[in-house]
Amino acid sequence: MSRCDFKIVLLGSEHVGKTSLVLRFVNCRFNSGTPYQNTIGAAFCAKRMQSNGKDFNVGIWDTAGSERYEAMTRMYYRGAHAAIICYEASSQASWTRLRHWLQELRTVEEDCKVYLCCTKKDLLDSGAAQREVDEEIVATYSQGLRGHFLTSSKTGENVDELFQKIVDDCVADMRVMKGVEEARVQLQKEDAAYRAKHKDYCFC
Amino acid sequence: MEDVLDEVVSSEDLQKFEKIFHEQLHQGNVTHKAQFEYAWCLVRSKYPTDIRKGILLLKELFNSHSEGKRDYLFYLAIGNARIKEYNKALHYVKLFLEIEPANQQVLTLERQINKRMEKEGLIGMAVAGGAVLAIGGLVGLGIALASSKK
Repeated sequence: MSRCDFKIVLLGSEHVGKTSLVLRFVNCRFNSGTPYQNTIGAAFCAKRMQSNGKDFNVGIWDTAGSERYEAMTRMYYRGAHAAIICYEASSQASWTRLRHWLQELRTVEEDCKVYLCCTKKDLLDSGAAQREVDEEIVATYSQGLRGHFLTSSKTGENVDELFQKIVDDCVADMRVMKGVEEARVQLQKEDAAYRAKHKDYCFC
Repeated sequence: MEDVLDEVVSSEDLQKFEKIFHEQLHQGNVTHKAQFEYAWCLVRSKYPTDIRKGILLLKELFNSHSEGKRDYLFYLAIGNARIKEYNKALHYVKLFLEIEPANQQVLTLERQINKRMEKEGLIGMAVAGGAVLAIGGLVGLGIALASSKK
């Protein structure tokens, strides 16, 4: 039995590509043939990552962007170590939504490390999409945060870098690591207690 | 590893959405949104009675509000899987996949349900196997005792 050391939550308006970002990171693939399916509630993925020579289990909650789930989305960022708020440079509406999440995280989860992620870089590069969100405004907003990444789930550009930076930041944070250690010790205790109780017939 | 079937709602959240639902119920005008949000919390509760209540509310929504069908089917599958009604859960998964055959979330859920069925089936067999061994042992002991008396 293993539980996640770090909890990362993805936020952002619908159709910006949160699920594609997670699938690219976890499965290293992008399927342009899959039709768009909006996420129901929230989906969970986990991946093992290394930082500073140690292994960590990273749990990622990919929340639904659709506003009809908003009341629920709040339940998923609670207790998150890091949040990635996604937007599309070609959509001013997605940037407005990002500001809403930013404000909410600041008041509700002030210890959560926040990263901004501009998705679909390949579309900007190829000229298929035009930038609507002003870069200077983005730079101003990013200053007080942990970072801003311009990613492409299609090519994979900057995706690993984003998640690696998050894990490195968590590992460098003494307070977070204290919590991780305590959780691991607690889990070992529970495991031992469970095994002692079930040793009579548990062959698994 | 934790997954959507293990995730538990906090009692604080459950109470919050319960209150909204009951207020609307009292006024005689429950919105789909309030009912769905309350049901969503209920099926993620750790208490089977809550989960069963959530399933009832979702079924009612499923029959009355066609727009949100995929959401209701998804959480009906989750709720049933959490109270170990795996066959019912798989039934809802199948209904969902008839509408959206390639939905990754639902395909993942299907795998998780199958894995649980397999795991619990194996544990059941291990328990049954242990019982057979114990009975065998007792019979053997009986025979040994009987023969030693001779």
